[in-house]
Amino acid sequence: MIGHMIRLLLNANGIPTVDRMTLGGTPVVRRALLAGEIDLYVEYTGNAGFFFNVASDPVWTDLHKGYERGAQLDYQANKIVWLTPANANNSWGIAVSGEIARKNRLATMSDFGRWVAGGGKVVLACSSEFVNSSTLRSLEQAYGFTMKSDQLIVLAGGDTSATIKAAAEGTNGTNAAMVYGTDGGIVASDLVLMIDDKHDQPAYAPVPIIREAVLKANPRIAAIVKPLMESFTQDSLQELNGRVQINGEPTEAVAEDYLRSKGFIK
Amino acid sequence: MNPDAMKVPAARTVHLDRLGTLLSLVGVASVWLLPFVVFKINRIVSGHPRALFDVLPLWSTSTFYLTLTLVAVIAVAVGNARIRLIAALLGIVAVALVIGGAADALTPPGNRWVRISPGAGFWVLLIALGLIATDAIARLQPRPGIRVLALLVTAAVVAAALASGYFDHLSIMREYAVNASRFAREARQHVLLAVGSLVAAVLFGLPLGVLCHRLPRVRAAILEVLSLIQTIPSIALFGILMVPLGALAAREPWAGQLGISGIGAAPAVIALFLYSLLPVVANTVAGLARVSPATVDAARGMGLTNWQVLVDIEFILALPVILTGIRIVLVQNIGLVTIAALIGGGGFGTFVFQGLGQTAIDLVLLGAIPTVALAFSSAVLLDAVVDVMNKSLR
Repeated sequence: MIGHMIRLLLNANGIPTVDRMTLGGTPVVRRALLAGEIDLYVEYTGNAGFFFNVASDPVWTDLHKGYERGAQLDYQANKIVWLTPANANNSWGIAVSGEIARKNRLATMSDFGRWVAGGGKVVLACSSEFVNSSTLRSLEQAYGFTMKSDQLIVLAGGDTSATIKAAAEGTNGTNAAMVYGTDGGIVASDLVLMIDDKHDQPAYAPVPIIREAVLKANPRIAAIVKPLMESFTQDSLQELNGRVQINGEPTEAVAEDYLRSKGFIK
Repeated sequence: MNPDAMKVPAARTVHLDRLGTLLSLVGVASVWLLPFVVFKINRIVSGHPRALFDVLPLWSTSTFYLTLTLVAVIAVAVGNARIRLIAALLGIVAVALVIGGAADALTPPGNRWVRISPGAGFWVLLIALGLIATDAIARLQPRPGIRVLALLVTAAVVAAALASGYFDHLSIMREYAVNASRFAREARQHVLLAVGSLVAAVLFGLPLGVLCHRLPRVRAAILEVLSLIQTIPSIALFGILMVPLGALAAREPWAGQLGISGIGAAPAVIALFLYSLLPVVANTVAGLARVSPATVDAARGMGLTNWQVLVDIEFILALPVILTGIRIVLVQNIGLVTIAALIGGGGFGTFVFQGLGQTAIDLVLLGAIPTVALAFSSAVLLDAVVDVMNKSLR
């Protein structure tokens, strides 16, 4: 989505682009960038911890410090420049049904932890990975709550569209879902994302990254991309993703519509 | 005493209309048992039915149910076809107004996620009213010109109603809004595939039919082969065609340049063409067989050549039957083209299969409803043509 916007925006500013956005997942795209086959793609800040084998470093849980460390490591090792990140976080999190969030005034994970520890009846749909990796345990320890096994509905596959659908429809009493922070289903299903206010999880902020040689040839790119990246919020990215994931609108059309509505292109 | 006067008391007893009673019972049952409107928090979750009394103001819901009751009473007790038709149309308008109003009322302002779909009750009511209307039209026995005119007026009214924006909050129209540019393209492709294969089948099938008529020995063989093709399921036929067409495109560059490949429009057109042959050939044979030998003899006696006899006499007399075959083919093709989307042939089926993949039923309907409307309209048009032919021959 952000990739499409950057491409349209660069084109509108007279910088020609080639669309290679069907390439595939992170490992493929990253290898393509390092090999010089592509010039720019949108990475998540938290992934740098895995690229440089320093994932356990607590620096990644802070969006801005993580960005700075990642930018520094990637530039030193690969001459890759990190442009402006979006102030939004796509890490794993918990979203609860809007009804419960409003009734109990839940907005952050601290609120959620207090509510569950105080006997709040929560049933969470999640993937087995979410339970078996340390993610859920880490959240429980950080926010002082525990989930009993009958409060967890572990869905095979662990697709967030399935967990969100379960919470939205209240399947078997489900009222909370494991989600990615900018998941399109959250706002479309009237769920509320619990903000990770103690920064327990690594932050995954979208950030366009570019090869230094290309940036030197076209120094304007950094300034063109900056206001676009700064325009994003957690909510606006959820909304944009929802239009594609839930409403089935074509990605490119949504991207263009956003750029127009914000006045980035005419 | 005047014998007519004796009949008056008999006419006064209310005569219950059987079809009207059945349809009214179905309508009443659907109002009681089935949801009229369904609320979905977003496009892909399952919905919750909403009672009309909770959605719309009391007066409009009451007016709606009173209107439906009036229509039901007329359908049961009034014999005059004109009144029945007007009542059914009134009912259809009421159903449309209420569903549009309910969609408006249920959609929170500025919310782009919520979907308001017509429920099963809506569809059953619409079908029941539609049947009352078509039954009334059949009883009126309108001339072909009037039927075509009525079709055009209906199409214009529906188009104007959809363009007015009154129904924009209805789930199907939301799907249309997202897919508007593709919709026109797929509609054109759908018609092109259906009509193109029909034209090919007529060009090839008519001579084949004449051949069958003239040479009874090959008739059985040809018709046998064509009916055999007819028994192959469409998806299987697409699959069978994929192999040779794919191989052809790979070996001969010109075939690829013409757009022939294992998937896409080419196998779709060929499969539809093969399905179309049987009705065209069989009806040509039947039509020609209908021409009495005496007529043909008379024409020969007048000194007409073989060709003149075939074109000026036999074909003209056989035309209504041949046209009936063409009508069958066109309606059948419009339905079958939907499946062509599975092999990338395009058409309204694209929406149907995409919708199935995304569990978005409204997108399925966006493909299915225009297909049905298209098939229905072409049936009405060609029926009118056949009627005109039959009358002018008499």
